[in-house]
Amino acid sequence: MIRLASVTKRYGVGGRPALHGVTAQIDAGEFVFLVGPSGSGKSTLLRLLIREERASEGLVEVAGRDVARIADRRVPLLRRTVGCVFQDFRLLPDRTVAGNVAFALDVVGRPRHVVRSVVPEVLELVGLTGKEKRFPDELSGGEQQRVAIARAFVGRPLILLADEPTGNLDPATSAEIMDLLDDINQAGTTVLMATHNAGLVDAMRRRVLELDAGILVRDEHRGGYDAPATVAVSATVAVSATVPASAAPATVAAAPGLPGVPGVSGISGVPAQRAPSAGGFVGRPAEPVGLVGPAEPEGPVGLPGEGAA
Amino acid sequence: MRAGPLFGALATSLRRNLGMTCAVVVTVAICLALLGAGLLLRAQARTVDRFLLDQIEVVVDLQDGLPEADREALRDELAADPLVTKVSYESKQQVYERFRRDFRGSPDVVAGVSADDLPASFRLALADPRDAEEIVYTYTGRDGVEAVRDQRALLGPLYRFLDGFTLGAFALAAIQAVASFVLIYTMIRISAHARRRETAIMRLVGATNAAIRAPFVLESALAGLVGGLLAVGTLVLAKVYLVDGRFAHQTMFPLFGWGAVWAAAVAVLAVGVTAAAGMASVALRRHLRV
Ligand SMILES: Nc1ncnc2c1ncn2[C@@H]1O[C@H](COP(=O)(O)OP(=O)(O)OP(=O)(O)O)[C@@H](O)[C@H]1O
Ligand SMILES: [Mg+2]
Repeated sequence: MIRLASVTKRYGVGGRPALHGVTAQIDAGEFVFLVGPSGSGKSTLLRLLIREERASEGLVEVAGRDVARIADRRVPLLRRTVGCVFQDFRLLPDRTVAGNVAFALDVVGRPRHVVRSVVPEVLELVGLTGKEKRFPDELSGGEQQRVAIARAFVGRPLILLADEPTGNLDPATSAEIMDLLDDINQAGTTVLMATHNAGLVDAMRRRVLELDAGILVRDEHRGGYDAPATVAVSATVAVSATVPASAAPATVAAAPGLPGVPGVSGISGVPAQRAPSAGGFVGRPAEPVGLVGPAEPEGPVGLPGEGAA
Repeated sequence: MRAGPLFGALATSLRRNLGMTCAVVVTVAICLALLGAGLLLRAQARTVDRFLLDQIEVVVDLQDGLPEADREALRDELAADPLVTKVSYESKQQVYERFRRDFRGSPDVVAGVSADDLPASFRLALADPRDAEEIVYTYTGRDGVEAVRDQRALLGPLYRFLDGFTLGAFALAAIQAVASFVLIYTMIRISAHARRRETAIMRLVGATNAAIRAPFVLESALAGLVGGLLAVGTLVLAKVYLVDGRFAHQTMFPLFGWGAVWAAAVAVLAVGVTAAAGMASVALRRHLRV
């Protein structure tokens, strides 16, 4: 559903790239957490997926499409297949709950009878029945986020991107929103959620992608917020001070049934000293695993089907 | 986008932005009224032109008491001139009748002149009106000829007047067009800023560029339309009160009719709407990321 191959993103010339050689694949129906410290490139990665930004290097594929090669006038179609939710909700204050959700359908030209029937459905799904006529400032933060999720989901996107959706919410409300996103995922939508909420990640035990300074330092199935201290690092981490510049940084093997990620091993210019600073990684003699090629699957920490490459 | 949500967005935008939109309407109205005035002045020049082309171009005034034989000799000579296509004689009485007709709007002038004061004359139609000067040169000072008058030359000042005002109107219209563009540009900037939340969400949920831009372009086109209608109203009032109400009594020339007014109105409205929409699109390129 989402495929990144050696994706690098630089804002402007010079300076440290916001993303560096990120390679990952997310299958249809997966639920994936994207974690990492502030400034590690989570939002940047999400923006690349809806072509809000373009990758400087590498391949970004969404729903089987090379995002860089979509014609400008077809980018809206890409965005209709990807719903987005943000920390700050981004509701229109002068529209009601129903109006905010209907807006997303109206502006893409959906016929009125569709809007009329679909909006109540999705509001029921997010648990806002009875509050259709309220304005955003008459709702709690959690309810506002439900409206935002309803708006993102009302067009039935294949993918839902959530950038710190619980960032402004208390733990209990965060858990509710998390449940809602989980429901949406259970119904078949691929969900990629960037978050700092360690509690949620640890509770959910879903796949975790961790970025650090633009580099993918962990891809762990059923992972927690923090990297496991004792797991076979080789399976999840592929960047280390010992890796020569010409070798690939973090690399995740292809998932089952899908083609491998080509050309991963050829990334140049990786600063050799950019070792992840997360505790437990530093100084560990890590070997890049999962590189495309004959590498055998070894680290069994939930990486699916590395042999597929 | 469907019409309902589109006009909803337009209404919101207008409500938030009313003062600015009014300023645009007024500027556009002035610009288009000037444009229309220029078009009508040109129509007037053409009307006068058509009128004069139908008229005999050069008049040869004859001296009083010229013997008929000499007169006929002169007529033969004029008729033989390759530049002249038609010669017609008008007696003193006929010239007086024409004079009364031409100046029917100014009875004071007519009252002071009798048939005897006016010379009998030949009126010449020329193959090419531009040869008038040569005819004047050739026949001036001949025996029996009082004077040779190129009527179009007499109208030089009128043409210069009409041309000058046409040019002035167009020049002012152009300046107003620049002012309109600046205002529309500003209006779009304010409007895009006021609606930035909406447009950001539209972009996010996959609205097309056309759908995102449409309310802005529509807002500007609407301002152009209203401005155009105001300008057309001005032109109609000018036709009723100024042209038909006053000038018609003061001039011997025919004046442009309602056809010219409606043609100018259509032009003004079309230019107003398309130019305003076009200017908005240019401004959007700058102020609205899509
Ligand atoms: N539009 C931009 N122009 C220039 N630099 C940017 C831009 N957006 C992000 N960056 C830089 O890219 C890096 C990654 O930013 P990003 O917003 O992706 O981080 P993040 O992981 O989402 O952080 P946070 O957890 O605080 O939201 C940062 O160094 C940031 O300064
Ligand atoms: Mg962020």
